[in-house]
Amino acid sequence: MNGVVEIKDVWKKFPMHRDKPGFKEFLVNLPKFVNRNSNSDFWALKGISIDVKQGECLGIIGKNGAGKSTLLSLILGTIYPTKGGIKVSQKITPLLDIGAGFHPDLTGRENIIINGVLLGLTKDEVMGRIEDVVSFSGIKEFIDMPVRTYSTGMYLRLAFSVAIHTDPELLIIDEILAVGDEAFQKKSREALLALIKEGVTTIFVSHNLSAVKEICRRAIWLDDGMIQAEGESEKVVGDYLRLITHGQ
Amino acid sequence: MNRELRRKKDLLWLLTRKEITLKYKRTILGVLWSLLNPILLAIVLFIAFKIFMRIKMENYTFFFLSALFPWNWFSASVTMSTGTLIGNVNLIKKIHFPRHFLIVATILAQLVNLLFALPIIACFSYLSGKGPGINWLITIPILIVGQFIVTAGICLAISMVNAYFRDMEYIIGVVISLLFWMTPIVYPLRIIPETFRIYLVLNPLTYLITAWREILMSNHIDWRSIGISYGSSLGFLLLGILVFQGLGKKLDEVI
Repeated sequence: MNGVVEIKDVWKKFPMHRDKPGFKEFLVNLPKFVNRNSNSDFWALKGISIDVKQGECLGIIGKNGAGKSTLLSLILGTIYPTKGGIKVSQKITPLLDIGAGFHPDLTGRENIIINGVLLGLTKDEVMGRIEDVVSFSGIKEFIDMPVRTYSTGMYLRLAFSVAIHTDPELLIIDEILAVGDEAFQKKSREALLALIKEGVTTIFVSHNLSAVKEICRRAIWLDDGMIQAEGESEKVVGDYLRLITHGQ
Repeated sequence: MNRELRRKKDLLWLLTRKEITLKYKRTILGVLWSLLNPILLAIVLFIAFKIFMRIKMENYTFFFLSALFPWNWFSASVTMSTGTLIGNVNLIKKIHFPRHFLIVATILAQLVNLLFALPIIACFSYLSGKGPGINWLITIPILIVGQFIVTAGICLAISMVNAYFRDMEYIIGVVISLLFWMTPIVYPLRIIPETFRIYLVLNPLTYLITAWREILMSNHIDWRSIGISYGSSLGFLLLGILVFQGLGKKLDEVI
């Protein structure tokens, strides 16, 4: 009952040939499209079931192409499962591609407001903490300039500051973000760890295995769209490392 | 108001404002263009119809503009929203929020132009001696809502279909200009033979534009046209929602 994320036997397939047919081709090949051959599909996830409890930090590890990002997108709700069901009962704050909602022609301040609301606050709530966001990002003097004039570092710092100030309930992190310079990296890392310690539910995907061991108590090892191992992060990471070093 | 509802309202408002801001970013006159554009258009048409192409109808410029401005809201919305979904890939793939808000915001942002054009129409009406009157205050909001409904239905469907078949963009260009001539904009509804008029319900804009013209030109509330256009508008909205939801489940695979 206190499962924040409940994933039940989820399957997800993608069509293999991604070049989109035009309208003409579609009409000509209509019969082929109707009973499309399932050989040309790629199953990214094959029957995944996961429960994430309130306040837990779950690490997800695995090779490239194991289905980690697909799983995150499914939890996020930007894609739908082909089969199976997903229930999420908390507000999600994604730290995946931070700044995805930024528009280059809008100023830093305008972008903070829109992104804050997209990430789950009301406009009044954003306005109430906008100065905190700006001061955390450390780019006060540029905040009323269009974002397109920012350096990559400034852009990411602002995006991270917005995300962290939206009262996250369920954090979804793809790699601990290396944002900005040394000092800001330290600051952002500390802010994230503080949130996780406070009991914000976290799903953490990473190739940095020592970080997974350090931050998460439980971990899941995904391989080829299936759960290969699940349990204490120490042990799962150990098994995974053994396979990488000794396996073919 | 419930917090989640307030947040949705804020989001829609911010997305709309973003569309408007972006439209006039890096221009000197800014949103003033929304007023200047229809004025210039009115002057051009006035010169065209008074000097070059003398149409025998009385006050033809007024006749034309009273239908053209509402039509422009529709055609601009459809043209703009065709690319809305594929133009916001980042947002759609990375953040979970109601995707139809993008379409609704596009339509609302285009409404600004119509609102700025109404004072110009009011001048014409005042000069002709028939309006504007209290009837305007009743009818214009009703017509704006009705037109919003049909535009939303069509835009939802088209923007989603365009994500699957980019050919839509080119088809829409042609269909829009066809629709322009099939709608009583440059000609009055009455020149269409009685026997064909029944089919005109299929074009949701026919009676809508007629009702616009009745109120703007004659200060007359044409309840019959309003009723017919609301009927077909709701039909188109239903269709749009079905297409949007049906195809929306696989949107991530095609954009």
